[in-house]
Amino acid sequence: MNFEAIIGLEIHVEMKTHTKMFSSAPIKFKAEPNTNITYLDLAYPGSLPRVNKNAVINAIRVCNALHMEIDDTLYFDRKNYFYADLPKGYQITQQFRPIGQKGYLEIDVDGEKKRIKVERLHMEEDTAMQHHYSDYTLLDYNRAGIPLVEIVSYPEIRNGKEARKYVEKIKEIVTYLDVSDGKMENGSLRCDVNISLRPYGSDKFGTKVEVKNLNSTANIEAAIDFEMSRQAACLLKGIEIHQETRRFDELKKETVLMRTKTEAADYKYFSEGNIPPIFIGKDFINRAIETSNELYDQKLERFLNEYKLNEVDARILLSSKELSIYYDEAVKNNDNYQQIANFIISEVLGYLNKNEIEISNFNVKPDDISDLVNLLIKKEINSKQGKDIFAKMIETNKSPLVLKEEMGATIISDPEKIRTDIIEIIKENPTLPDDYKNGKTRAQGFVMGLLMKKNKGKVDPILANKLIVEELLK
Amino acid sequence: MKEVNKNVLKDAALRLMFDMKDEEYETLLNEFDIIIKQLVLMDEIKGLNDIEPMSFPYIDESFNLLRDDEEIKETLLNKEEVLNIAKNTKEGQIKLPKVVN
Repeated sequence: MNFEAIIGLEIHVEMKTHTKMFSSAPIKFKAEPNTNITYLDLAYPGSLPRVNKNAVINAIRVCNALHMEIDDTLYFDRKNYFYADLPKGYQITQQFRPIGQKGYLEIDVDGEKKRIKVERLHMEEDTAMQHHYSDYTLLDYNRAGIPLVEIVSYPEIRNGKEARKYVEKIKEIVTYLDVSDGKMENGSLRCDVNISLRPYGSDKFGTKVEVKNLNSTANIEAAIDFEMSRQAACLLKGIEIHQETRRFDELKKETVLMRTKTEAADYKYFSEGNIPPIFIGKDFINRAIETSNELYDQKLERFLNEYKLNEVDARILLSSKELSIYYDEAVKNNDNYQQIANFIISEVLGYLNKNEIEISNFNVKPDDISDLVNLLIKKEINSKQGKDIFAKMIETNKSPLVLKEEMGATIISDPEKIRTDIIEIIKENPTLPDDYKNGKTRAQGFVMGLLMKKNKGKVDPILANKLIVEELLK
Repeated sequence: MKEVNKNVLKDAALRLMFDMKDEEYETLLNEFDIIIKQLVLMDEIKGLNDIEPMSFPYIDESFNLLRDDEEIKETLLNKEEVLNIAKNTKEGQIKLPKVVN
């Protein structure tokens, strides 16, 4: 029997704000534990929540990117549970009126576009970071209260690859909008998968299994593919699927049982009495959207139309938001769009990949890349000199114009001087013209080698080649 | 509706980590009896389930309650204050018995 997988994803995205969702405690990655906390984060009596304006703006921008209906009034609710990761005894969330509803996301799977409907997006607060050891748990409340958006898809995903593409697209949206750094490995973007199988043609849902602890998009794909095989094997053997939570074991590449769900948790949701409904209005929403960063797809269109790049190059430059910004900066005062793209793709990315450096940590300024490409285009230096100067720029942080002078990097392009040298070389090797005329084309390279040696590699190679051929044919 | 008896109250008290004397349970049971009778009366109102709970009857559209995304240093607790309220600490963190696998 063939089965169809029914997969829905819940994604939590940590927002990149200066302060927490409901308190003015700062958010600092890798801060000393328990140092970014205010009264509210520890539920001191009398402390009251106040909603962070930037978190709302961020949520609106993500809603807009997901083509959602955006509520012009904010409502918050309490999700009640008793656990040490939130001292209040409840999480403030948006259970009954999420800020965004009824959206969709388009993904590209093997060249085919598929639209996945997004049920809801709501704002809430993160919980404390827990570090579990063999017989005790340590708690760091720095994370308690960090703004989150939770994005819930409809169960319209059918396999691991689609799920991976969906998460990658969400990650791309939140990073391009600068709403989050979207790093799954740091927990800034977390994904829970709900998956069940049913026989093809059936309209009933099977028993749902939840998979947690997925810290990369590759693991999401692998976990789903494993879980589909596991559930199918169970069903074919007549083994019942239990409602349970599993985690992905990265080493074994399989899902492992965490706990069985006996009944759905009852969080006794009710309206958050400390935050009255907040009317934000259409103007506020429109302003948040109008001042939003460019999305990947918008930027791609601009790179293709304005900079006239080919799609392959454009997509390489857009492979990270930081790289696309670097390129934008480099072409700001230089319209040699393609040449700059070529240099960044071959030289800059080559260096970064080889040395495993992120573009955000690259010390060479985009303006300097622009100047270096100009020197190459104007033939003031040749490509070998360009590479040498580039290496020195990385080493010294100096500008290419300064380094050109310091390194004596000039190019000899005086045809008379070049021709005189060529004639001299041929005179010392008189058989070369006949060799060349008899088809031994390497004679041309031989002359070029000696010419470059004589001039320390500074001869304009295109001009030199032309003159060498002329002299060999005489 | 679930019957509220002494066992239900004891179970609830246990979950909330306290216990009461027998006469206190009796008092509480009597109070529940009154409350439940009142709720049964309210059940007779027609269409009650179609009415949404009214937490905030009015929304003030003239007042923006959003907070600027700025740190307020005065409200920040220092680490010692935070750790002092915990029974056990370790490496600057609050230490608890492990309750999950």
